[in-house]
Amino acid sequence: MQSKLSDIELIEQTLAGNQAAYADLVKRHQRFVFTLALRFAKNREDAEEIAQDCFIKAYRSLSAFQRQSKFSTWLYSIVYTTAMTFLRKKRVDTDSIDDENTYIQLENSSSSHDVNSAENKSRSYYLNQAITQLMPDDAAIITLFYMGEQSLDEISKTLGIEANTVKVKLFRARQRLKEKLEHNLKHEVKELI
Amino acid sequence: MNTIEEKLWNYIDGTCSDEDRKAIDILIAQDEVYRRKYEELLALNQEFSKMELDEPPMAFTYNVMEAIRAEHAKQPLKAGINKRIIKVISGFFIVSIALMLILAISNVHLGNSSANISVHLPDSLRLPDIKNYLSKPVLEGFLFFDIVLGLFLFDAWLRRKSVSKHV
Repeated sequence: MQSKLSDIELIEQTLAGNQAAYADLVKRHQRFVFTLALRFAKNREDAEEIAQDCFIKAYRSLSAFQRQSKFSTWLYSIVYTTAMTFLRKKRVDTDSIDDENTYIQLENSSSSHDVNSAENKSRSYYLNQAITQLMPDDAAIITLFYMGEQSLDEISKTLGIEANTVKVKLFRARQRLKEKLEHNLKHEVKELI
Repeated sequence: MNTIEEKLWNYIDGTCSDEDRKAIDILIAQDEVYRRKYEELLALNQEFSKMELDEPPMAFTYNVMEAIRAEHAKQPLKAGINKRIIKVISGFFIVSIALMLILAISNVHLGNSSANISVHLPDSLRLPDIKNYLSKPVLEGFLFFDIVLGLFLFDAWLRRKSVSKHV
């Protein structure tokens, strides 16, 4: 059962030495942090490693949290930087992170199977599948906006870019997601939407 | 804002100006292309909003807390010691040295000539004659101890170096 205390109250208790309060904080945010990490890592093992690393980093620098923004915004910025560092360590250079061709391979390998079994799959399955085919930045922006309930300003703080740039990136990410959905589902997309 | 889609997404997100909103309201009501596109994007937006979060492994929280506990356990001693204790110990030595200096200076008697300085320390503070204790075996033992200690520290340093290379 999760604590009903606010994030700030849990942070204060953690800073006072109550580790159980931090466990509550982890429980509260773990699903989103894990999902966001998965957008970058593309496999559950790596995503788990990134997410765990994020919570440890957040714990270490909890006293440095200024409380000018939401805890979640601060935490997601840690996820973003940790995930980017992780990708670089895995020798996936920044060019290939932004290179759509890397993810087109993924797309082609799975799309034929998807069309055949389209009737049996749920809408969320297809959406999640299309998201995994997006570039990490696009997938992260869509995840932050729709699942993290972050405003454009908050996303700009998380990603360290201007709010207007976030707006443009979000628009392009949605376009690409729509294209992926259309490609994966061919005719079924019309029924889906 | 160039394309119809871009305008409509801003309209759906609520990030366009009041003026743009009113203009788009009219376009949706009157223009069939706008209305269809709006309905399509609205449906997509609703689908995106329904996306579900992935579930981390069951033991995720436990693993995080264990990693934090392990990190606490590995914390070096110098980081674990309360800084107040260090301050109290250093304060004690500073005060002792200061008192000894004051005592020594207060007992300095300057004669007429600057070269004739004699320090009169109390009998209790007189140092024993060190020559009585520095025999040859004592010096050899001291030297041997120094060499062994030096080798031990050098070995420890080499071990640390090789471990950090492997990590």
